[in-house]
Amino acid sequence: MLTLTGLGVTYDGLRALSDVSLDVGAGEFVTLVGPNGAGKTTLLKAISGSVPSAEGRVVYKGRDVGRLRPNERAALGIAHVPEGRRVFPTLSVRENLELGSYRRDARARRAEGLQTVLELFPILKARASQLAGSLSGGEQQMLALGRGLMAQPDLLLLDEPSQGLGPRIVEQIFETIDRIRRERRLTILLVEQRVVEALELCDRGYVLETGRVVLAGGRDALLADARVQRAYLGG
Amino acid sequence: MAQVAELLQYVATGLLVGGVYALMSIGLALIFGVMRVVNFAQGDFMMLGMYLTYFYALSGIDPLLGAVLTIPPFFVLGWVVHRGLLARVTGGGDPQRQMDAQLILTLGLSLVITNAATMILTPTPRGIRTAYATQAFAAGPILLNQARSYAFVMALILAAAVYVFLTRTDAGRALRAAADDPEAASYQGIDVRAMHGLAFGTGIALVAAAGGLLATYYPIEPSVAGNFIVLMFVAVVLGGLGSIPGAFVGGLVIGLVQSLTLLVLPFQLQNTGVFIVFLLVLYLRPQGLFGRRARAV
Amino acid sequence: MTPRARGWLAIAAIVVAGLVLSFVVQERYHHRVLTLVFLWAAMGLAWNIISGYAGQISFGHQVFFGIGAYVTVLLVVKTGLTPWIGMAVAVGVAILAAVLIGLPTFRLAGIYFGLATLAYPLIFRIVMDWLGYQEVAIPMKRDHPGWFMQFTEPRSFDLLALGVLAATLVLSRVIETSRLGYRLRAVKENEQAAEAMGVDAFRAKMTAYVLSAAPAAVVGAVYIHAILFIVTPEAVFGLLVISQTLVVSLVGGIGTLWGPLIGAAVMVPVSEVLDTTVGDRLPGIQGVVYGAALMLIMLYAPEGLFWRIQQTIRSRAGRRAAAVRPAITAPADELMASAPAGNVLLEVRDVSKAFIGLQALSEVSFDVHEREILGVIGPNGAGKTTLFNVLNGFLVPERGAVRFCGETVTGLRPNVLCQRGLGRTFQVPRTFPRLTVLENVMVGALVRAGLADARGVARDALTRVGMLDRADGLPGGLTTLELRLMELARCLATSPKLVLLDEPLAGLSTDGVDVMIAMIRRVRAGGITVVIIEHTMQALLRLADRLVVLDQGRRLAEGAPNDVTRNPAVIEAYLGKRWLARAGAPTC
Repeated sequence: MLTLTGLGVTYDGLRALSDVSLDVGAGEFVTLVGPNGAGKTTLLKAISGSVPSAEGRVVYKGRDVGRLRPNERAALGIAHVPEGRRVFPTLSVRENLELGSYRRDARARRAEGLQTVLELFPILKARASQLAGSLSGGEQQMLALGRGLMAQPDLLLLDEPSQGLGPRIVEQIFETIDRIRRERRLTILLVEQRVVEALELCDRGYVLETGRVVLAGGRDALLADARVQRAYLGG
Repeated sequence: MAQVAELLQYVATGLLVGGVYALMSIGLALIFGVMRVVNFAQGDFMMLGMYLTYFYALSGIDPLLGAVLTIPPFFVLGWVVHRGLLARVTGGGDPQRQMDAQLILTLGLSLVITNAATMILTPTPRGIRTAYATQAFAAGPILLNQARSYAFVMALILAAAVYVFLTRTDAGRALRAAADDPEAASYQGIDVRAMHGLAFGTGIALVAAAGGLLATYYPIEPSVAGNFIVLMFVAVVLGGLGSIPGAFVGGLVIGLVQSLTLLVLPFQLQNTGVFIVFLLVLYLRPQGLFGRRARAV
Repeated sequence: MTPRARGWLAIAAIVVAGLVLSFVVQERYHHRVLTLVFLWAAMGLAWNIISGYAGQISFGHQVFFGIGAYVTVLLVVKTGLTPWIGMAVAVGVAILAAVLIGLPTFRLAGIYFGLATLAYPLIFRIVMDWLGYQEVAIPMKRDHPGWFMQFTEPRSFDLLALGVLAATLVLSRVIETSRLGYRLRAVKENEQAAEAMGVDAFRAKMTAYVLSAAPAAVVGAVYIHAILFIVTPEAVFGLLVISQTLVVSLVGGIGTLWGPLIGAAVMVPVSEVLDTTVGDRLPGIQGVVYGAALMLIMLYAPEGLFWRIQQTIRSRAGRRAAAVRPAITAPADELMASAPAGNVLLEVRDVSKAFIGLQALSEVSFDVHEREILGVIGPNGAGKTTLFNVLNGFLVPERGAVRFCGETVTGLRPNVLCQRGLGRTFQVPRTFPRLTVLENVMVGALVRAGLADARGVARDALTRVGMLDRADGLPGGLTTLELRLMELARCLATSPKLVLLDEPLAGLSTDGVDVMIAMIRRVRAGGITVVIIEHTMQALLRLADRLVVLDQGRRLAEGAPNDVTRNPAVIEAYLGKRWLARAGAPTC
């Protein structure tokens, strides 16, 4: 479904990605891990279009989307749940979710989508008319996830959903992601710093370090590979 | 007792005009909230709205209706001005420079509109004659000028319509999302640049309608633009830059302040109180009453 | 001839040209136009000092213009004081007003500053109305007309106006070439970086504001005597004055003394001609032309004509001179010795800092020893940059203390810390884009040196990082590595004892990392202590003597790099508890 070939990105004057190639097949769950500053977020931004790529290609569903703006790519079925959640603080929980189904293909299924999401995240149902800005970090993450699902996406990009959250909430979130994956057979690209949780969920994984892919492999292979640790802590 | 009645009279008048100020200010707040542009030309578009309503009136259309009829043409005008001018000013990529450059652009636009209006429409003040402009409702000891009362009610209706638009429609919610977080909004499929055009068009249409309502009791001349732009700014800053309900409340408050100032100062100094409020807000509570956290530009 | 001397020569040439024009022109009307050109150019230059050099766009500068007009005329009317002295009084009043206005207003950020400046002229208008000065006419003094600036000969007004222009040109030039000028430009380009380089931004802005008020008042005083003769609040505090000022400065070019000259020379005659020819039939044509000029400039040349022309010339020259420059290589270096000393240079004690909903730092304590290279690491969100911002003075901790060289420095502003020897670079290079590389570094040098020495200090610093041959270029043309080196040089020019380097290796190629590491070692060899935040672990392990690990705002571990990276708690922080459990004892 998604293929990146030789992607190079310069962001904020820095060379964030160099010669990155990876692919995500339809229905696959792929995880991308790596230390801070490795370029993981930049990679997702390059896929969803908010950061232009200096070299290389982004091919989605067989189509080169390099020239498309973020909202155009979203309209094609890419849902990016950004780092730091980025819910709309002055809109209510319900409004945030409704906005998730802004793209035309999702609008028709809005009511059905809303029901599913509220069922998946009961806490959101309870807080449906509260302003999103008043939610806790964990609740906002659930809202961001729910908003992404409302788009009825074909490709779901998750950027560090665990960031800034306590361990129990993180567990909950990962459980939910797993459940979403099993129930809906979505194609998911997950970017995470928490190695084990992220790798355990996936089919395949990549390790990114200073803007390059240094390791790639199946789930079990990566989980046993000491080189993953080296990517984070050197040695 | 007479003093209480007099006070109430001033309060009532202040609220009535405040309603129209509120409508004007909502337009400015919408533009700033979504686009981070301070539109210096807001007063000029209002003035043009007044003139259009005047011409409608010459054709026999009551100004209250005429005000509403200014909305479609001015929406289109606002959209075009955005696409043709504002969207092209980029300030070289730096957001702060872009804000400064767009501000100066609107200042230039304001100069052009006011002076062109003076040239083409002449400085002679015009007025719309209606039966109700000179009549008043009696509510106990207070007299409510009919024109101002109708204008107030229309202003509230239009403001309510804006509220419904922003909270119940997809486009309205998308506007608010684009104001909150443009990057996240684009991830939902929202075309942020189109949202800017929509915001500007709506903001201009609202202020033109407000001008039309104003025209029911206020003389129409090109210099009107300058009289009200400052009031709008103060109302928006008081309410909290970018907050629409804030701008609404701000407009009402400014109307009150202006009216109450007349209790102690003569007519030509009626804006003194407004400026004092302006400075107080800027120094004591710059984020205003309903201020939102500054969005990272 | 030095660029400096050339600048003065140019000013002299302009004044001479003005003189020549004044004597060549015969008709009364043309003299009037000439007077107006000179006066508005001077007004634009005055505005430029605060809005161009310092970057604080003021929409209310006519306040000082109006003060100049009113004070001078009122003094003539009430006391019979000659305006030649009255002007001086007016300048005094204007300066006082600038201080009173500037003190509270410069506290306001960004857009609020501009909006606030709008309010003051309006207030003055109201006050003048209220005091009853709606129309103050200058009384005719037939006995000693010259004494009262009431010349019969129109040329005299030209010359007076030219004098004002010359004085303002001199003032502008002096500022441009002084320490204040560099500081203002640094503040304008990047206030935070300027503060970190030791510039007291508030003081610089206030000084500029006061200096911009004085000439504006003089222009107002002369304008009233030469052109208007009657003072009304609308005429001197009104929108048209500031519009004219803006047009002249923005069209010509902001931030340079040529701008208002060009702007006035172009716009004033155009508008005057239009006014006389079609002004009767089309009242307001002036406003339309000015408005259109502002719009066109913002659309096509937002910095003004001067810069656009300069840019075109420079880019053509640049394309020709884009020769292949030798890449910077790692110096095969000598004294890598200099082991860390034992004494503590920087003490961090129980520092805590919270933001809304987030405890960024919790009781963080550690020491930094003289001449060591200390690495600060930790997973995302650990609080590293917040820590730097606290150490650097951009943030004040709620609890805890920072001691530098034995003195408590918690809560001191960045420029003060810089003056005491604590320097910093930024994660994203914060350059002063319109200054040359050398000038960028000079801003740092100005902390300790006067202008004369600053150049030498800057060249020295650039040599130390191997960037001397890039000295005269602009930062825009540099590679990431070169930008980082420039930042390093700028920091070194402040003669620091300790430098905080925020992710200096991010985004560099392998070669670049080698160069940077060598440079950092060189810095330490020169006796400077280094504290680095980094994520590029492999590189940091080569460089650092010790590491401090932060996680979720707390200090997690401290010690030699190899020990720290094998510390189970640290592994857990980076990779999670379950990785640790899976892997058992980590092996390589």
